[in-house]
Amino acid sequence: MKQTKYAGRSILLLATLCLLFPFYSYGYIDPGTGSYVFQILVAALVAVSFAVKVYWLKIKGFIAGLFTKKGK
Amino acid sequence: MKGENTAVSGSFRDPSGFLFWHEQRLYRQVNRDYSEHYDLLIASRLYDKLVGAGQLIAHEECDVRLARTPDAYKVIRPELVPFISYPFEWCFSQLKDAALLTLDIQRTALEHGMSLKDASAYNVQFVHGRPVLIDTLSFEKYPAGRPWVAYRQFCQHFLAPLALMAHRDVRLNQMSRLFLDGIPLDLASSLLPAGTRWRFSLLSHIHMHARSQQRYADKPVPGKTRPMSRFALLALLNSLETAVRKLSWRPRGSEWAEYYENTNYSDQARDLKKKLVADFLQQLNPGHVCDIGANTGVFSRLAAERGIPTVALDIDAAAVEKNYLQVRRADEKFMLPLVGDITNPSPGIGWENSERLPLLQRFPVDMALALALVHHLAIANNLPLAKIADFFSRSCRSLVIEFIPKSDSQVRRLLATREDIFPDYSVVGFEKEFQEHFTIERREAIAGTERILYLMRRRVHGRE
Repeated sequence: MKQTKYAGRSILLLATLCLLFPFYSYGYIDPGTGSYVFQILVAALVAVSFAVKVYWLKIKGFIAGLFTKKGK
Repeated sequence: MKGENTAVSGSFRDPSGFLFWHEQRLYRQVNRDYSEHYDLLIASRLYDKLVGAGQLIAHEECDVRLARTPDAYKVIRPELVPFISYPFEWCFSQLKDAALLTLDIQRTALEHGMSLKDASAYNVQFVHGRPVLIDTLSFEKYPAGRPWVAYRQFCQHFLAPLALMAHRDVRLNQMSRLFLDGIPLDLASSLLPAGTRWRFSLLSHIHMHARSQQRYADKPVPGKTRPMSRFALLALLNSLETAVRKLSWRPRGSEWAEYYENTNYSDQARDLKKKLVADFLQQLNPGHVCDIGANTGVFSRLAAERGIPTVALDIDAAAVEKNYLQVRRADEKFMLPLVGDITNPSPGIGWENSERLPLLQRFPVDMALALALVHHLAIANNLPLAKIADFFSRSCRSLVIEFIPKSDSQVRRLLATREDIFPDYSVVGFEKEFQEHFTIERREAIAGTERILYLMRRRVHGRE
């Protein structure tokens, strides 16, 4: 009975950990820990400028669209 | 290479499947473990999109009974690539185009819920003049939140050699021959000029990336690593693309790129030589041509323009760059310019020296062109004429070859700074050695020069 209780707790703990820290299989090539950790950092950094770029393009497209409609 | 039921030597690392030859046809076995990903590639229409854009090699599904092992899910037959070439044989723009293709494919894959699980430059080949991904099994279902597993490989296979070629020396692409999985980033970082640290893209993806690799060497991925959003992954791809696009190299001042401006050929003599080569091509109509010492491909083009798949091999990266830019500009389908030294051709590398094949085992050479080449081999490289003739007899079925006598100014220039130790280097000596292996079909003097152009057909059976 006690054993079942412990097993249940262990499964619950494992499930919680899995949700908190998603486990990924890394495929047949080694991504390299340094590369893996570093790309998360560098991606966070470049995501800011990328967001600016994406939204700027959207704004430019929107404005260009207004003028095109007016022209029509 | 094309033996019955033989697995292709370079396709054993990925457990998703492998290539094999059967009845002179190339097949790819897809293993059951990979079925989910293969089905998604087809069902998501990613395959259709990439093949339609000419970015992925097309294939057809075949009878699964052709499978080599019991764990087969499918057997597919990919379109055949006429010439297999390797990244260290590409010029700067070829490697750059292959890098941009890989990033573009990864972006399209993400739109379809998939991701590239590797980014090896060896997975790209040039087909109809353009880079194409040939590994159909490189895709996997994209697990949301996971960083790009092939980021390290992309930087090592593409970004590092391109940066070294652009910022240090274009010949450093040859380093890829030494390092099968791309140039180690710590080495690239130490070889790049200090000034490259002022470029954010190179500072981050090479210099800091290399430091991070050293810091985490032999350590597992930390448990508390945060997931990476799809947007962040797209930002990373955008950053890598910017890094690649900003790298440029312009050939100038090299030995061969201005060759045609510096020869002793008159326009008339060059036109005659072109006409003769065209005649020879028409006479034998070869299936494949390899132009050795092709320079910018003026004579190779005579074959390619006839729809004959042609490799234009030259030692000079600048000449090959010029040739490739012309291929790209004119959308030429049958020409493949490559960097290579015929006196030291690419060897077999990788596991058991057979994972990546030697240059001469990869090309089906029906006809070889050796124009203004023999004097470089015989005099500049001290290769006896007998060895040269023997080499060509094992490499091709027919041969268009030019003999340039000692009295020619180009040969005199080669002999100006050295002792003449070549008593057999004469028309008589040349013909004697080549007739050991070949029948001379045509012998044409090029009017206005002292040179002779030959069309030869192999008599003895060498390598088929």
